[in-house]
Parts: sequence; C-alpha cells; structure tokens
Amino acid sequence: MIFKSLRDQRRPLIGWTLGLSVFFVLYVGVVYPSIAEDPATYSAQAVAKYPGALRDLMGGLQDFATAPGYLQSVVYQLLLPALFIVCAMGLAGRSLAGPEESGTLELIVTLPITRRMLVVQLFAALALGLLAVAAVTLLVAWAVAWSAGMDVGFDRILAAHTGVYLLALLFGTVTLAVGAATGRRAVATATVGAWAVLGYMVVTVGKNVDAVSWLRWVSPFHYYAEGRPLYQGFPAGDYLVLAGAAAVLALTAVLAFDRRDVGV
Amino acid sequence: MTAVVQAEGLTKYYGRRRGLEDLTLDIRAGEIFGYLGPNGAGKTTTIRLMLDVIRPTRGQVRVLGVDARQAAVRSRIGYLPGELVLDGRERARDHLAFLARQRGGVPPGRVEALAERLDADLSVPMRKLSKGNKQKIGLIQAFMHEPELLILDEPTGGLDPLVQQEFLAMVREVRAAGRTVLMSSHVLAEVEHVSDRVGIVRAGRLVAVENVATLRERAVRTVEFHFDAPVPREAFEGLPGVRDLRVEGASVRCTIDGRPDPLVKAAARFTVVHMVSAEPDLEEIFLTYYSEEGRDHDLQVSA
Repeated sequence: MIFKSLRDQRRPLIGWTLGLSVFFVLYVGVVYPSIAEDPATYSAQAVAKYPGALRDLMGGLQDFATAPGYLQSVVYQLLLPALFIVCAMGLAGRSLAGPEESGTLELIVTLPITRRMLVVQLFAALALGLLAVAAVTLLVAWAVAWSAGMDVGFDRILAAHTGVYLLALLFGTVTLAVGAATGRRAVATATVGAWAVLGYMVVTVGKNVDAVSWLRWVSPFHYYAEGRPLYQGFPAGDYLVLAGAAAVLALTAVLAFDRRDVGV
Repeated sequence: MTAVVQAEGLTKYYGRRRGLEDLTLDIRAGEIFGYLGPNGAGKTTTIRLMLDVIRPTRGQVRVLGVDARQAAVRSRIGYLPGELVLDGRERARDHLAFLARQRGGVPPGRVEALAERLDADLSVPMRKLSKGNKQKIGLIQAFMHEPELLILDEPTGGLDPLVQQEFLAMVREVRAAGRTVLMSSHVLAEVEHVSDRVGIVRAGRLVAVENVATLRERAVRTVEFHFDAPVPREAFEGLPGVRDLRVEGASVRCTIDGRPDPLVKAAARFTVVHMVSAEPDLEEIFLTYYSEEGRDHDLQVSA
C-alpha cells in the first residue's frame, strides 16, 4: 500500500523535486553571487525596500549579504517552507480525501486491510515521499551553495533542511487528518492554508505585538524559524516538538478515519 | 448451515434521512440472491453496510460468519461497487495486480482468462476506459480471487448484451461451485433468470423475500390456443385460475393465474393446431409489491 501510494504520486513527487532544485539553482546559484560581489549595496537596498513590518514578515533580513544570512532570509525563511508545505498539502490531499471524493477509495477501503492500517500506511507514504523530495533537494542545495562559494557547512544546511522537512510533514499530516475526519479535500486545504498563513504572521509581524505573540506557541513556524539552524545547528528541542506534533496528528487521522462512514 | 449474510435489525440513517430501516435478512450459502428495488430504496446502503464502508445506526450484519467490521473477512468477498470509479494513469492490469496482492493473491492466468471472457483490454490507462470497459474491470476484480461471497451492486450497468450473457454465465458457475452471490438491480428482468430468491426493498424497508420459482408459478400469464374448428365457450368457463376468457370462433385467449394444468387438459379435448404462452410477467408482480406496500406503509404512517 505504501509503495502503491508512492507510485500513484510519482509524477508530483518528481515534479516538486525538479521544481525545488531549479529554485535553489536560481536563488543560490545565480542570484547570490551577484549579491556577494557588492554586499553593501544590496544589503542597504534590501533594508530600504522592505520597511518596518514588511521586514519583520521577511524574517528581519539581517546579514542579508552574508552566506548564512542570505540562505536564512531568502531561502529558508519563507519561500522554501512555503513551497514545501504546498507540496505536502498536495500529496496528503491526494492520498485520502481526494480518492474519497472521486470515489476510487471505495475499492480500497473494501480490501482486507483495516482502516487504521490503511491510514498508517498512507501516512508512511507521505513521510517517505516528502523525505525523498527533501533528500534530493538537500543535495542540490548543498552542491549549489558550494559551487556559489558559500561559506556554510553541510551540517548547517542539513539542520535547516531537516526543519523544512518536519514543518512540511506536520502540515501534510494536518491535511491528512482533516481529510480523514471530514472526507473533504477543500476543507483540509483551507485548514492548512489558514493555519500556515496565520502561524507565519504570528511569529514574524506578530512577535512584537503582545495581543497575539502568545499565539506563537501554536504556530509550527515558532518551532521552525526561531532556532536559526543556519547559525546554530540543530535546534533539537524545537524539531522534536514538530515531529511529536506530526505523530499526534497522524494518530488523530487514524482514529478519525476508523470511525467514519466513507463516501457519503 | 449458517447463513452467508445475516442482517438483524439493520438500520442506517444519514443524519435524519433514512437509508435503511430494520432489515432482517438471511442469505444462504450457494444461492443467487437478487436484491431489487427502485433507485434510492436502500440497496446500496445495505451493500455498503455489509462491506463496512458505512456503519449501522442500529442492528448488526454478519458476513461469512463474522461481524462485518472484521477487515480480514473481506479477502473472502468480491465486491463490485454500484458507482465504480477507476481513475489515473495506472493501467488496468497493474491495478488488478495491486488489488490481487492485497487480497492474498490470485491464481496465475486467472485475470487474463476473465479479461478474455469479457473482452476487456487490460493495457489501457484506467482513466481512458469507457464506462462499459470500467465495468468489465470491476467484474474481473470482483471475480478474480474466487471469493466465497460475491456482492455485486447493479452489475450489468453499461454492459452490452453479449457481455451481459457472459456475465450471467459466470454468476451461474459461481453458484455451481457452491459459492454465493448477492446482486442488486432496479429491474427484475436483469436478475430473474439467474436468481433463486429475490428480496424487494422499497423506501428503506424490505417488503418481501420470494422464491423465484414459486413466483413464476404464481405469476399471471397470457395463453392462446388455436383449434381446427370453433370451440364452445362453456368448455373453458369456470376453470380454476382462468380469467379474461375470450372465445372467438376457433381461438381461445385468456390469462391464467398459477398452474396451467386444468386449462391444458380442457384444451386437450379438442384438436390444438397452435398454442402461444407468453413468459410470465414477474415485473407486474413487483410493481404491485411496490405500490401496495407503499400504500400500507403510508397508512401506517398516517395512523
């Protein structure tokens, strides 16, 4: 079942891997060298272009022209996690709620496999699929960073990439869980979209606003972006929170789907 | 022998909408059971309850001796959904192989043999299959692992007449091998020639379970005799079961309820040159079931 799910999704998996690799080549391989040539100008320009709250939204843009600073603010702050989350949402949506809505799930749930095992296997396929995308893009990221002359160790890129993977897995699992509980892909996508956007806002623009800053505890980005892995390496505690949350949500998906009428 | 399917007080509500009310039914080993009713009567609800796709509001259903909630029992069931959806770039052959593995394997060559019988093309991506061809794939996956119980929801939809004949032959072979078939339909004609018994559902309730042979015996049929010379009307009047008698010169036409024996013996006293006996119209019986039960039911509701 795991193999089958991955096989069914091989096109989007390959597509996302290629797309994200191109993203790295463009942003790190092509854009960064020109910034590195003239750090003072670009750094000042970036700060001038994004004033105040907007700069917060971009993660602060500190050390924009240094290698870790550029990777952090341009790549790992917003764009890469956003793309990865969309990828995870797509994969998870197509694994359960999508087939239920189209009707192809009917033959699958009538196989001699328990509902629980079915969802566990779909979750495993999601985790493995995302892992494959993450592993390939990690190598691409490292290779491109190295060829662009970036002074960032592999361990730091690995640490940041692991964070992206866990973040995407978490949101993918939310998609799976909401899809398992409701059978509606649109509901699942909307839930994840809203949570991701609000969660991101809370930890960036909202971090200095007392009224909302406490909400950062329920924002997955709090556990992703605030550890600054490119500077400090693995934020083990934060990543464990992300992984634990994904596990709890996967369990929720399993239990929710086990109780439900399918395709009504 | 225990029943292959045992439903007891099986009830399903979708919110406040009734899907099925208090169904109690036994399906016996080795029979072909026709499950009849108009669209929306509760046939598909019953079937999906048997396969644990949906859960009963009340009551329970046991399949092959165990509670339908047991996933393992489904390897012994072949199921054709009423609204079969096959999609994606995957080729039909690969999808069948996947389903076969999940059900614990299929004898080699079995899928190909079925595909040949039904004239199905397995090399086409499933999203490119026509409705009829999807239905063939659906039948192959239901039959391929030689399940003890076949549950077929509207199996003949979209099949051309030749394939329908082949399908009915396959169903008879299943019975000959001692296995059991439940097939639903909204028209009697589709199931009456293979079914041993039929159950009729209407508005979520099982209104009758009948033996098809008994039904046929009881059915009204039109009979026509032509003789070599005019016959007296009195010779045919008052025969048991004979109605709508019309004698015109050398021909006699009437409808007969039940066995035609007295009529045949009465006719045998004259020289019969030609005789026509129409197939019993079971459909008509069913229409009366539908409408009469409906009236009773409405009375109960208003009382």
